[in-house]
Amino acid sequence: MKQYLIASALVVTFMSQTIHAEPTGRIFITNEKGNSISVINGETLEVESEIAIGERPRGIGISPDGTEVYVAVSEENLIAVFDPKTLEVLRKFKSGSDPETFAVHPNGNIYISNEDDAKATVYNPKTGELVAEIQVGLEPEGVAISPDGSRVIVTSESSNMLHIITVPGNTITDNILVGSRPRAAVFTKNSKVVYATAEISGEIVKIDIENAKILIRTQLEDPKSKPKDLVLSKDEKYLYVAGGRSNSVWLLDATTLEVIKGIPVGKRVWGLAITKDGGRVFSTDGVSGTVSVINTSSNEVIKTIAVGKFPWGVVIDD
Amino acid sequence: MLKKIINSHYLTLSLLFITPIIVSAETLELGFAYIGPESHSGLLGVKQGLAEANVQGQFLGQKYRLDMMTIEDADTKDFSSYIAVIAIVEYKDFIKLSDTLVNTPLFNISIEDDSLRTACLPNALHAIPSMSMKADAVIQWKQKNPDSNAQAQAWHGDFVKFAARDLNKRFKKKQHSTMDDTAWAGWAAVKMTSDSVARENISDAKQMLKHLKTNLSFDGQKGSDMNFRDTGQLRQLILLVEDDKIVGEAPVRGVAKPPTLDSLGLLNCEKQNR
Repeated sequence: MKQYLIASALVVTFMSQTIHAEPTGRIFITNEKGNSISVINGETLEVESEIAIGERPRGIGISPDGTEVYVAVSEENLIAVFDPKTLEVLRKFKSGSDPETFAVHPNGNIYISNEDDAKATVYNPKTGELVAEIQVGLEPEGVAISPDGSRVIVTSESSNMLHIITVPGNTITDNILVGSRPRAAVFTKNSKVVYATAEISGEIVKIDIENAKILIRTQLEDPKSKPKDLVLSKDEKYLYVAGGRSNSVWLLDATTLEVIKGIPVGKRVWGLAITKDGGRVFSTDGVSGTVSVINTSSNEVIKTIAVGKFPWGVVIDD
Repeated sequence: MLKKIINSHYLTLSLLFITPIIVSAETLELGFAYIGPESHSGLLGVKQGLAEANVQGQFLGQKYRLDMMTIEDADTKDFSSYIAVIAIVEYKDFIKLSDTLVNTPLFNISIEDDSLRTACLPNALHAIPSMSMKADAVIQWKQKNPDSNAQAQAWHGDFVKFAARDLNKRFKKKQHSTMDDTAWAGWAAVKMTSDSVARENISDAKQMLKHLKTNLSFDGQKGSDMNFRDTGQLRQLILLVEDDKIVGEAPVRGVAKPPTLDSLGLLNCEKQNR
């Protein structure tokens, strides 16, 4: 009896120390005009279901422990939380006005850009509590967080800058003027370099974050390219950039920012996500209502999946 | 309730109590002069531009102020300290100002006369379209739509393309009115100047004039890369509006020759000013 009790105690201890929930492998898409989430099976690449989520869902992200998915429901000024396994909407909390994009910090907090308010707000998504408010430039949009959690970048679209916010202070310590209408940003794994896109100038910049200096800037040649999201390949040698109305995902050399090729996808491509193993990139093709799946070995589209109306954001639970 | 009030007046407050987010060694302080009526949509546009310039400026150690005056006050004024002057005045007064304000950018945001463009005044920057630009826009539009009664405008409160929606929204929220042509021009005058200060580190009026005339690439939220012709006219997209609805844009695709902004109202200088 005693041995059995000790054995069960050990099993219970082991289970409670599991840090991550078992990932579902699902890909979640926000449908901006469909007011829903499309759930794509990571193996079959088929849509499993569509969940109603609220008016104008845009930004989407997953908790560090993989148990909750967060959605910015812009018209309702709140964040909805759902379970990636059961797909049940668990709760919703007020998020400050017009949340568009957000990023999830390794500590679990979410940093939201409040487009209409020239603010970025920080929330504890477990409690719905407002942790901090940071005044930024006009029309904040992109939010990116360094893997080590030390810095948060918020782009101010109409003030044409990247604000560098240090954590835990949650104050702006540097501001970098970039091309017209900066959108998204992504950090390298070592948290020292940031790549960012600027929509109107078609610009991509590479920034040394520690010294707040622009290292290289390049411009996409196609004037219809209004670049938005960008992701780094697993080996960080390549950048995938969503090319807006150029209807292509642009593949760039991450060292030189030279364009290697344009991968044709659906219309008005904005959102991008890459699997943890680096094997696939998913794009949201807003005007086509599709998600394109790119195989990163061949850098070709292997499948186009019809989803809801005006797919915007994408997150992968893997 | 209090929080809501504070949030909605945030930009106004930040104008009154500008405290830079970063403690910088020096804040560059620059002034704009507005000469025109106290109550005008153009002035609302200028004020909007100023508020926005200060939002950006607080992160860069730059602060802008606006001095407002009537044309009568302008007579005895010393304008040498301003980075730019924005005017809503009569034709003859604009000419006089242009003579006085040598080497200072002088923005025209109300006079449409072609002759003010062909005069090629060295410091004049015409942010609103000329009559011939508007006429050309209508002509192009009618080639494709002969029965249309559309009129040409520089801006419209319902314009959403090129981030116009964001600007219309911001303006409406802060100024409690709909942005019109003159308001857009007033906003653009301030923003292109403050953008140039931010990007090029120009704080001198003469340098600013040279930069605006020759080197500008401005995102006016109605099309990017806006710049000036030799005549001082700002190249820009023109909207065709019928029954208060936007029906099209000029240059009209397939009709405009050349197929660029220069198909609209391109005029020559009366005489060579060099």
